[in-house]
Order: sequence, then C-alpha cells, then structure tokens
Amino acid sequence: MDANEIMVIAMFISFIALLFTGIPVAWVLGGIGIIFAFIGQFADNNLDTITGLDYTTLGLVVNRLWKIMDNWILVALPMFIFMGIMLDKSGVAEKLMKSMQELFGRVRGGLAVTVTAIGIILAASTGIIGASVVLLAVMSLPAMTKQGYAMPLALGTIASAGTLGILIPPSIMLVIMADQLGLSVGDLFMGAVFPGLMLGGMYIAYILTYGFLKPEAAPIPADAKPVNMTTVINVLKAVLPTVLLIFVVLGSIFAGVATPTEASGVGALGATLLAMYNRRFNFKVLKEVMAGTMNTTAYIFAIFIGATCFALVLRELGGDELIESFLTGLPFGPYGIIFFILGIIFLLGFFLDWIEITLIILPLLAPVISALGLDINGYGVVDNPELVWFVMLVAMALQTSFLTPPVGFALFYLKGVCPPNVKLTDIYKGVIPFIILQLIALLVLVFWPQLVLWLPANAYS
Amino acid sequence: KNVLLKTPIAFGSHLPALGTPIVWVADQLKLVSDGSLKMKVYEPGKLVSPKEILGAVSSGKVNSGYATAGYWQGKMPAAALFSAVPFGPEAGEYMAWMYYGNGLKLYQEMYDSNGYNVKVIPCAIISPETSGWFKKPIEKPEDLKGLNMRFFGLGASVMEKLGVSTTQLPGGEIFGALEKGAIDASEFSQPAIDQRLGFQKIVKYNYFPGWHQQATIFELLVNKDTWGKMSKGQQAIVENTCKASMTNAIAEGEAMQFPVMQKAKESGVEIRYWNDEMLNTFRSAWDEVAAEKSAADPFFKKVWDDMSEFRKGYDLWESNAFLPRTR
Amino acid sequence: MTENESLPSVPLSDMIDRFIQRIGVTVAWCYVLLVLVIILQVILRKGFSNGLVALEELQWHLYAIGVMFGLSYAQTTNSHIRVDLFYSHFRAKTKHIIEILGILILVLPFVVIIFLHSLDFFYESYRINESSESPSGLPYLWAMKGVIPVTFGLLGLAVLSRLYRDVVLLFRGE
Ligand code: NA
Ligand code: NA
Repeated sequence: MDANEIMVIAMFISFIALLFTGIPVAWVLGGIGIIFAFIGQFADNNLDTITGLDYTTLGLVVNRLWKIMDNWILVALPMFIFMGIMLDKSGVAEKLMKSMQELFGRVRGGLAVTVTAIGIILAASTGIIGASVVLLAVMSLPAMTKQGYAMPLALGTIASAGTLGILIPPSIMLVIMADQLGLSVGDLFMGAVFPGLMLGGMYIAYILTYGFLKPEAAPIPADAKPVNMTTVINVLKAVLPTVLLIFVVLGSIFAGVATPTEASGVGALGATLLAMYNRRFNFKVLKEVMAGTMNTTAYIFAIFIGATCFALVLRELGGDELIESFLTGLPFGPYGIIFFILGIIFLLGFFLDWIEITLIILPLLAPVISALGLDINGYGVVDNPELVWFVMLVAMALQTSFLTPPVGFALFYLKGVCPPNVKLTDIYKGVIPFIILQLIALLVLVFWPQLVLWLPANAYS
Repeated sequence: KNVLLKTPIAFGSHLPALGTPIVWVADQLKLVSDGSLKMKVYEPGKLVSPKEILGAVSSGKVNSGYATAGYWQGKMPAAALFSAVPFGPEAGEYMAWMYYGNGLKLYQEMYDSNGYNVKVIPCAIISPETSGWFKKPIEKPEDLKGLNMRFFGLGASVMEKLGVSTTQLPGGEIFGALEKGAIDASEFSQPAIDQRLGFQKIVKYNYFPGWHQQATIFELLVNKDTWGKMSKGQQAIVENTCKASMTNAIAEGEAMQFPVMQKAKESGVEIRYWNDEMLNTFRSAWDEVAAEKSAADPFFKKVWDDMSEFRKGYDLWESNAFLPRTR
Repeated sequence: MTENESLPSVPLSDMIDRFIQRIGVTVAWCYVLLVLVIILQVILRKGFSNGLVALEELQWHLYAIGVMFGLSYAQTTNSHIRVDLFYSHFRAKTKHIIEILGILILVLPFVVIIFLHSLDFFYESYRINESSESPSGLPYLWAMKGVIPVTFGLLGLAVLSRLYRDVVLLFRGE
C-alpha cells in the first residue's frame, strides 16, 4: 500500500472519528481537507509521492465554492424553506393538518399516511430534500405529537416522506447523474416514476400495518368524530387554500409557466398570500421568516462548502482511482458485482451524501456495468438500458443515504426544525424501518428492470 | 525531466467530439513522449468546474486545462471569436486563419494582455452544430418573436435582437424545461450530442445549418511557469499532438453525425434547412451585434477586423475552389 | 428559531454576535427580493414573452448573497449541524475544550485559507472588470466574487467570538 492510499484511508477514518466529537459537520469536513492537503505537501517533499497538494492548490476550494454560489438550480432551496416557514407561521399548516386529522381521524396512522401523501406531492413538485423535510416537519410534527404518535414513527415518516423527492422526478440527483454518464435526462425521469411511486406506496402500507399491529403507536384521537357530510365540507374548506397552493406550484411547472426553480418562488409568494388571507401576516412574521430562511439555508450550505474542500483533497490524493481499481478486481459474477456495488454505496451513504457519491463513485461504475454484458430489455427505444436501470438502482440505494446515521441529511434537516428535546438518536430509531423498506424496493428493482424501463420506452412514442 | 499535466476538462470525456479528443491527446502524449509527458484528465467539476478553468490554470492551482475560449467572454469579450463565430469560418478556413494568418498570435496576445499566465494551444476543432430544436416550424422572422429559447454565446445576442428571449440553462436542465414548456426551443450541440440529451423524443423540428457555430475550437491551456520548465522537445510534443488532435476531432465529428440524423428522421424528427429569408435575417442581426461589440471593446475590434480581412481575401479562393453543395 | 442551545453570556462575544446578527437580518431581505425577482421574471416571460437573462442572474446573485452572509449568522446562533450522538452527553467543560480545539485545529485554518485565496480570486476578477459571460447578463461580476472574502471575514469574526466565549467560560468553570 503506498503513501497516497494510506492518506485516503486516513482521511475517511479521521472524518468519521471527528464527527463524533460533536464539532459541526461542515467544519470537520473542511478542516480535514486542509490538514490532509498539508500532509500531502509534506509527503511530496519527504516521501516519494506526487499528490501535487500545497497551499496554492487549496485555492481551488474558492473556485469550487464559487460554483456553489453560481448555481441557478440551488436557488430553489431557500425559496422552499421560505415557503415552509411562512406556511408554518401562516396558520395554514395547522388548519390543514387539523382538518386532515378529522378526515382520517378514524383510520389508524391516518395522519402519518397524510404526511407521506403530501411528501409524494412535494416530491413531484421539486424534490429539494431539505425543503420537503422541513416543510413536512413544521406542518405535521406538532399535530402528530399532540395526537400522541410514537415519536420514532412520527419522525421516521417525516424523514422518509421528505426524502422521496430525490427519486420522484423532477430530481436534481437524476439530472446530475444523467450529466455524469451521458444518459438522457428524460429517460431517467421517466424511469424513476414507478420506482418512486412504488416506494411511497410501500411506506403507506407499512404505516397502516404498523398502526394496525401496534395501536398505541398511532393512536386515534379521543375526540375523533365520525365522518359526515359537514366534516367533509369543513375539511374541503380548510384544505382548499393549501391544495390551491400546491396546485399553483405544481401547475406552474406542468403548465410550463415556470421552471422548477421558479416554481419555488411562486410557492413562496403563494404562502405569503395565504398568510395574509388568514390575517397572520405582519412585519414581525416576515422578519422571522427571513431570519429563519437565512439560518436554515446557511447551515445546509455550510456542509456543501466543507464537503467541497474534503472532496477536492480526496481526489487529488487519488481516492477515486483507489476505489475504481478495487472494484474492477472483484472476482464475482455480474449480479454479484452489482450487489457488491450497491452494498458499498449503501455503506458509503452512512458517511457521504449523494452529491459526493454521484460525483466520485458513479462515473467509475458506469464502464464496469457496461462491461458486464447484462441483457436488459430496453425495447429498442431506450439508449443504454442497462445503465438507465443501474442508475435507478443507485438512486434507490442513495435514498437510504439521507436516512442512515451518522451523516444523513434528511436527519439533519429534520433535527434543525424539531423542538430541542428531540435528539438525533430519536430520529435514528425512527428511520430504521423505512431504510429496510428502501432496501426491499431496491431488491425488487434488481430483479424487475421493466419497472424502470417500461415507461421511458413507451412515454415518448 | 518528467512532467505531469493535471488537466481539468470542460466537457465530460464520454461526450463524442466535445470530450473525447482530450482523452486521445492524453493517451498520445504518453506514447509519443515515451512517458516523459503525462496528462491526467479530470472530469468536469471533479477538481474545478468548467468556467473556473482559466483562472485556476493562470494562478497555478492546476497546471493545465481543456476548455473553449467562449467560456471567457465575460472576462474578455474577444474570447468568443476564438471559439466559434456566427456566420464565421468553417473548419478549414478557421484553421487557415489560426495557423497561417494572425489568429494564433492574437489568441495568445489576448491572454497575455489581460494578464493571464497561460500558454494557449488550439487542441480540437469540431464541425457545425445544429441550429436548434423547435416545437413549431419557423418559416419567417415573425415566428421567432416571443419564443423562449435556450441559447449560448454570441448567437444569443443575435436571437435577442430578433425578439427571442434567451436563457442559458446548463445541458442537464434543458430536457426538463423543454418538456414542461418552460422554454419552446433550444440549441445545444451537434446531432450526435443532442441525441444523448433526448431532444428528439419531445421536439420535432430540428433546424440546420448552425449559423451560430459553423466550427468550434477547443483549447489546451498550460500554466506558463509549467510551460517554461518543459524542454523544447516536450513543448513541441504538446503542440504537435494538439495539432494532430485537430485532425482527429474533426474526422470523428464528421463521421458520427449522419447515422444519428438518419435515426432521428426515422423516429419522426423533421430535419429542416433555414430558408433564405431566415438566414439573411440572422446574418443582418449578427452584423449589428458584431458592430456593437467592436464599438464596445477595442481588442474585439482588432480581432474581428483581422479575421474579416482574412476572410475577405479567402472569399476569392472559396467562391471558386469548391463545388456547390447538393441538398 | 433554530438556536440549538443558548450559551452563557460573555459581554465581548455577545456584542460581536449581535453586530453579526444585525448584518444578517438586514441581508436577509434578499430572500424577499428574490421572491419578487422570480415572480417578475415569470410574469415578464410568460405574460409578455420578454424574460431577461439579467433577471435570471439576479436570482442566483441574491441567493448567493443570502447563503454566504448566512454562514456567519448561523455561527452566532450556534445552528451549524453537529452529530450529537455522544456530544449531548458531554459535560459543559468537555464541550468547551472540544469547541476550543475544534476551532483552533479545524475551523480557523479552513476559514483563513479560504479567506486568503478569495482575496486573490476577487482581485483577479476586479482587475479585468469581469461581467457575466452571457451577452445580455449583468455587469460587475467581481462584486459578487467580493462577497466571498467579506462573508468569510465575518465568519472568521464569528468563530473568534465563539472561541473567546468558550475560553472565558472554561476558565469561569461554567
Ligand atoms: Na422530485
Ligand atoms: Na447517511
């Protein structure tokens, strides 16, 4: 093992070790990047390495930081956070949740099912994970707490439903994957529709089953009234503004009035108008929303910035080649290699986020997969069907990375908006069943590629 | 002394003609130099994103980079003229100006006079791009009014003059925007590359000729300190490998378009050629744009005048030497 | 709203934090502006078929300003995400020591190196009066690049404030 490889492994180990000290994740990533850059420079001078790392090279971090700023796609993130916080302050969320609660009052887990359903809708509108999780949490966590849901179930439902957006199109992750592998974005979007809906369906099935088996975890509120015509009309009245808002956001995308990025701005305005309509809007509320948006957006982007420093140094040290040469040397059969790769991605997902995995690992895997000679039926229409299918497997596996501790972004976003008495460990407990569901879904996709490929093959013909 | 060129690139190495040439260069450099020169290619964004390559090479954060000068228009307006020119020269004429006219000299002068510490070497050239994908046929200039179109570079100014509102979405976002109708039309690159983005699945009218990009040059930038430390022989190897790459890239680009166009046609895409009225409209709008840019930036004017002068002379040869094209 | 824990008061640090927070809440108006700019762009483009590249660019300018100034703001509200698996069980003294070491070894080197390099990055852009690479885009792109040194300067200040707070609290034994 040469010095570079030792440094790569040392980087990962020190990252994981330092995470548990409780120093902010962003600064651990950034700081380790800097330290190992200087270790690399020392190695170049004293050992026989060519890392090329030094103070000058570290300047690339600024160029990379600039690309995070100069990114039109990410504009949607603060806008959806704005929308989420404004909806929270507007009182609309309470109304919505309360009325939904009445409607589903007599169904065990009805409120959680509602959360998942709203999660699917949000996923179909943009799929900014952070924003979906934040919005769902502020809308539903107080209601679920009040209704006496088991905390793990409530938190797991929110985190998993919010994470659906990365799979259900439109999805930033699929766009980046298509770009990395030279695949059609359209094929990937279409390919993700059934897997995404399937996963959402599995969540709902799980929640209903769980509520049936363990009634105390998803209690029916004591004051649950039977559903009659008046309830339904009241519910419709209460739901209408929010549904209208979602329709405006979704509709502006599907009607072609706005791009997904712009739809986020439309949503933010819509939420503000709703607050005005409910007479909850005033200068103080606006200031709180602005400050909240700034704070939440900032701690998410701090991690982007730290991670970009870490990834730069990792690549300069040849961390990606290390992984590639290891994979190509595996002695398993085609499906063995696929399972191995998915397993690795699942494990990496514990510590890295999808951006790093998509940018570092995925390009190394594509040639490996193409070389396996798998006979995947693309109906003669889908280009590189085996890659489209494989990307969907990776996307499904990466879903888990949002939920797996210690570094799970959905968990962090959720923690950010939870009351202080909710610990990260509570959230960890809650997401375990949902991670298992994702793994089952992954297994289904491995053995049933048509679930991915049928729609892209037939959608455009 | 052995040299390792760490080379971030602006286009993924899987993209034919946009990205494949530099991989070929990396392979050849090692062979031709018997290992004394190595180039390590970094995919876009891996070390540094495409738009940051010039700054990173100039400051020595990396020692080389592969991009196209059009990316530096915001820094130096004239840069666009060294990558692709609307109604500009085809590959043969472009190379004639570059190597045997003043092109290359002006190209280097642009970087020097703007204080960039880089040596520039043209390192690939590709054949025409398509003029774009449209949802409806465009028969007359009025049909353009009110269109929302993705367009990049100097051509975007031309389209804006004609009442098109342009956006500059990155490659990966175009499909979604086009499908949802947030834009009505888009240009991106050559048929073989556009096909990978899937345009043919949702938009029917593919227009030619690509008046905005008849030929596109790609550049290898090398940090001047690194360049100075290389031996004369190593420098010649880099320059000549890049020159060979120009041949390789245009050959690859010319060979791969027609099968893709044939396939698109079979799946219902209408391949159309701009009528004379449209082409004339584009051209006169471009003339206005070129005049405005020349007035605004002295170095743009210098390059533009030199290129125009060369092309005026070349016209005598061009109009007599070649057979008319059949359609 | 997302203040994870409130730390005991240390006058000098409190003053610095308040100063940074005042800047933060002022800059936060950019998010309201961003909403308005997006709406304006949508209306212009769909309503009047006249979308503007300049407005598109203004969107990410506003977003970037918000994000970058937010870094120091979130530092003063102690909102940056921590893995609290063990951290939440540590004694106050242990937390202070970890915080001090973390800032000295990890955070300050990172912030200082980015700050120094960003000065150069900004100056290079200013020197050539860089504007958008899109012909109808916004001028003075260098001003946006100047946001990096300014905001990392503020972040450095916020980090030093936190360092001072933890040192004082450590010696005070709180
Ligand atoms: Na989505
Ligand atoms: Na994870």
